[in-house]
Amino acid sequence: MNRLWIPSTHKNKNYRMKYKSLTWKIVGAVLVLIIVSCSLTIDTVDQPASVNGGDDLHVTVNAKIHADVPQTSSFMVAVLVPKVWHAAQNTHITFVSELTTGVQPMTVIPAGTPAPQGNGLDWPSLLAAKVGNGGNLLPDWEWVAFYSNSSYDVAGGADGTITISITTKTSTDNLMFKPAYCIANSSDGLSSSDRYSVFKTTNSCFQVNGVGDLIDFCNPQLSTIDPRTSLDNDIVTVTFDGGIDSTALNNASQVYLCIAGITTTGDSLSVCSQTDATRMRALGLNKWQLDLWPRKLFNLTDNQHLSGLKYFFTDANGNHKVGYGGGSDPFTYTFKCQ
Amino acid sequence: MKKLLPFFAAVCAIGFFACKPERLVMPSEPVKVLSGSWQIVKATRNGTDLTTRFDFSQFRINFTDSSYTIDSLVPFIVNRNGKWAFDNPSYPFNLNFTAKDSSGKSSPLLYPVVDGQRNVIISFSPGCSSNSYQYTLKKAN
Repeated sequence: MNRLWIPSTHKNKNYRMKYKSLTWKIVGAVLVLIIVSCSLTIDTVDQPASVNGGDDLHVTVNAKIHADVPQTSSFMVAVLVPKVWHAAQNTHITFVSELTTGVQPMTVIPAGTPAPQGNGLDWPSLLAAKVGNGGNLLPDWEWVAFYSNSSYDVAGGADGTITISITTKTSTDNLMFKPAYCIANSSDGLSSSDRYSVFKTTNSCFQVNGVGDLIDFCNPQLSTIDPRTSLDNDIVTVTFDGGIDSTALNNASQVYLCIAGITTTGDSLSVCSQTDATRMRALGLNKWQLDLWPRKLFNLTDNQHLSGLKYFFTDANGNHKVGYGGGSDPFTYTFKCQ
Repeated sequence: MKKLLPFFAAVCAIGFFACKPERLVMPSEPVKVLSGSWQIVKATRNGTDLTTRFDFSQFRINFTDSSYTIDSLVPFIVNRNGKWAFDNPSYPFNLNFTAKDSSGKSSPLLYPVVDGQRNVIISFSPGCSSNSYQYTLKKAN
C-alpha cells in the first residue's frame, strides 16, 4: 500500500498552519463580536391615525442604544414622507437621552451629502436603496435625513434610551400614506442591519383629511396618472391596472380611454371615441398605459385651460366601461402644481 | 584678439537677427451653428424616457439667423414662432427663445457631438416647474 510520507518538518508546518488558522478564527470571532455590539433599536412609535390637512403631525419615536465599544458619532434620524409635504423645510426634530443633557436639536442633512459607508450615495438615496418605500405604492415619497447638531462620545458598555420628537407640517392634500422612521449614526451609516433601526407603518395607513382628490399611497390603484402634479401643457401618463381587481375589462383585448377635460370656466370637453388617440398600450398582466398631451387631445385654444380630468376605461366597442373602484363613477384628476 | 573681433561681431549679428517674437494664436471656439431644421430624437420627462411612447416624429423646429418656426408642436419651451439667441455666441450655455407676443424663456444648452453629428440638448418645464423635460434635437435630413 502506498502511503504518503510526510517528513517531520512538514508535520510541524501543518500543525503551525492549523494553529494559525484557529487563531485567526478566534480573532475574527472576537472582532465580529466587537463590531456588531454597538446597536440602535426603535422600540415603539407613537403616531396619530390621522390629522387634518395643513396641521402639524407630532410623532414620538422611542429607541434604545447599546454600545460595547467607545464611539464618537452624530445621531441620525430619517423620516419617510410624501414629497408634497416638503419635509426638509417643514420638519423639526429633537431628542432627549440619559446619555446627553437636555433637549438635543437636529438639522436636516443637505441633499448630496455622502452618507458614511454609502458608496457615495447621500442619505436619501441610500435609505431609498436599502430601506425602500415603506410599502407606499405611488412614487412621490422621499426620505429626509437629519443629524444631531452635536456629536457624542458614547462610552463602551453604555446603555441608554432615546426619545425622539418629530413635528412635521402636513400639506393640505387629501392623502393616505405609510410613514417610516430610521435611526443610525454618522460613523456606521447603514453598513449592516444591526447598525441602524427602521420602523415601518405596516398594518395601517396614516390619513391626512385634506382637500382635493385622494392621493392613496397605501392601496393598489386601478388607475394612476403620472406626474401626480401637472398642468394641461404637460405630457401625462394614464395607467389602468386591471390586474389588481376583477373588472368588466378583465378579458378585453384592447382598452381605450374615455376622457373629459374640465375647463377653468366649467365646460366639459369629451373625447370618448375608440381611436388611435385614445388607444392604450398593453404592458402585460392586464395593465394598460397611454401618454397624452391634454392641450392637443382636447384641441384647446390659447385662452382655454383645464382644471381637471374625468375619465373611464372602455373596451374596443365601448360597451364595457370601468370607472373609479371598478364602478360607474369616473376617475378624477386635478391639474395643479406643488 | 583683434583678429577675433569680426568673428564675435558676426556671431552677435546672427544671434540678434535669429530671434523673432513668436505670435501665439489662441485657438478659436467653433461657432455653434443652429441654422436648419431640427427634430427630436430623445425626450425624457423627470428622467423617464418618452421617446417611443409619445409621437414626437412630426415635430420640427427651423432655425434661421435669429428666428425660429415650429411645425407639429409638442409640449415645448415655447408654443409659437419667434426669435432665438444664444446667451453668449462664442461660449453658449443657454438658448433663449422669445415667442411672438410672449416673454422670453431660456433653456440650459448642451451641444454634444454624437456619431459625428452635432446634437442640441435643451431642458425646460412646459407645465409645472417640478416636471422637467429634456429633448435631444438632431438636424433633420
